Amino acid sequence: MPDLSGYWLGAVMENSRPLSLDRRNFVVGATALASALAAPSILRAQTRELVVGAASSQKSWSEEIMIPAFEKKHNVKVIFEGTRSLVNLEKMQKNKDKQYLSVVQMDDPVMITAVAEGLLDPITTARVPNAALLKPNLTHMDGMWVNYLQPWVGIAYNTAKVTTPPGSWAEVFDQKFKSRVILPSLQNTEGVLALFIASYLKTGKPMSEAQKDIDSAFAKLVEMKPNVLMSYTQEAQAYNLLEQGEAYLVAGAISSVAMARKSRGAPVELAAPKEGTFSMPSGIALVKGGPQPELAAAYIDMLISAELQSKISAATFALPVNKTVAAPAGLENLIIHPVDWANVSKNRASWVARWDRELSL
Amino acid sequence: MSDRTPDRVALLALPALVYMVIVFAIPVMVLIGRSFFGPSGLSVTPYIDFLSDGFNWRVIFNTLRTAALTTLVCLVIGYPTALALSWSKGFVQAIMLVAIILPLSVGVIVKAFAWQIVLRRDGIVASLLMATGVWDEPKLLLFTETGLVLGAANIFLPFMILPIYSVLKLIDPSLQHAAATLGAPPVYRFFRLSLPLAASGIISGCSIVFSLATSMYVIPSLLIGDRYQTLPTLTARAFLLMRNERLGSTTATILLFLTIAIVMLTAWLVRRREVQT
Repeated sequence: MPDLSGYWLGAVMENSRPLSLDRRNFVVGATALASALAAPSILRAQTRELVVGAASSQKSWSEEIMIPAFEKKHNVKVIFEGTRSLVNLEKMQKNKDKQYLSVVQMDDPVMITAVAEGLLDPITTARVPNAALLKPNLTHMDGMWVNYLQPWVGIAYNTAKVTTPPGSWAEVFDQKFKSRVILPSLQNTEGVLALFIASYLKTGKPMSEAQKDIDSAFAKLVEMKPNVLMSYTQEAQAYNLLEQGEAYLVAGAISSVAMARKSRGAPVELAAPKEGTFSMPSGIALVKGGPQPELAAAYIDMLISAELQSKISAATFALPVNKTVAAPAGLENLIIHPVDWANVSKNRASWVARWDRELSL
Repeated sequence: MSDRTPDRVALLALPALVYMVIVFAIPVMVLIGRSFFGPSGLSVTPYIDFLSDGFNWRVIFNTLRTAALTTLVCLVIGYPTALALSWSKGFVQAIMLVAIILPLSVGVIVKAFAWQIVLRRDGIVASLLMATGVWDEPKLLLFTETGLVLGAANIFLPFMILPIYSVLKLIDPSLQHAAATLGAPPVYRFFRLSLPLAASGIISGCSIVFSLATSMYVIPSLLIGDRYQTLPTLTARAFLLMRNERLGSTTATILLFLTIAIVMLTAWLVRRREVQT
């Protein structure tokens, strides 16, 4: 039996080539075929469509809340092409002369690349009025992209093993959690955020400055080594260990993931540390030269509107981006510190190499 | 007519040959080529860069050490099992064969998750060692080299047992009786009779398990995590995360040559010893 690993992790990491590059052509072709075969469909053939190059992790609320509301209001069919950021970037690069995506969801670091290659159109308050209601720090590079939600990282804990919720990041380093803590690997985005938190704890600097001091971050993580049970790349494994009680804490747990486990009945709870935290990069942008530009702007406008934000935020436990919407109960005082993603993109590879060396067994 | 027969027989291997050339030989050539050809033409810089870093030597050492330990555990457990299998008959033998082959149909991820349950601090291994007084307190087995080797040996065990069994079952049992009749004690019979006769099976079993163990990726990813890098985990990361094809091709080529060299060297040493004795 060969080690099927590459196949498996490859699939998980979604490194696959963009398979759906021609999906729109297929849809158009299929529609044409259907019209040819069924005469009454002439009436339907006029239905407009909007293709969103989306983040597959955001599929459930997109399909349950956002898309039905948008389709109803604008009488349009939304095609949700859920994939990962780099694939969306590739789709835009390959179709630069004739874009078929109108809206794109990508991680902030990938947005920086897309801006540099001139693939995005700025989001202005003239086109997207609700952009004026965004919280500070959520509009990037003069409106080239905005954040549509703030899933945050906290401390997930096993409620059977930890009875007092950890209120501070410092508790993760407490001796009582010797070899019971799971960290995200630096290969995962939330691992980068955990690194910044370590730096903050070591230096006591404000989080915005602490994220520049990576030497201190590693110094703190090395101190923490005895507490680290493992560092995960596959979140399913991390939560498995947490729910079985082999691990007590996941420090750097993504809110949406932890809450999804909790809602399925797992003995897991998520604590929001008093020092504040970071949010996972969740950007949305208008594709330059994409079809249906007005609809594309309307899509983003609706997504960041007060009505949709309060629904999505309640469903995912993420913080809303619209300042007129209240945070979910219990998160009213949670501070989200901005991240310098350009700095992350530039240094990520060297941090990963350093992690190998300094955190190895 | 008759002198053309071998050619025709060789044709039977053609489908396999074509298949292997397309899905294996060509991709491996491309991979090796990519490690030597960069934007500025032919160079060995990636190899020099990689091998001049002390940390990478530790990664190579980790890879080979884990594979060697896994092979050893498989051999120690697998040889007696193969022996029992070759001595057993009828229903018992069928049950044993099923027990060895059936686990191959269980995915490696499922097995790795199962080991996670077995090896955790309130798992069966820790409970057993505590109950028998070997351990005073539960110790960490998961995410240690011991856990990794145990898990890997479990997954690769059939690849050790089956080649040894296929050789052992061909050995005439009367040889043992003859040796015993001539006064050879059991230990002497084992080292001078059974072991040399089974050598070819042991070599193939060890080669298969060692090759699988040097190239395993899911098993270390799940049982030890990214704090214990091996050549396959570094290779995967170079391609998937860093998008550094040159580095990935380099580590993959190093792994390929190390594994081939060690397997061939071992087989040659054993065969040479065999000829001498």
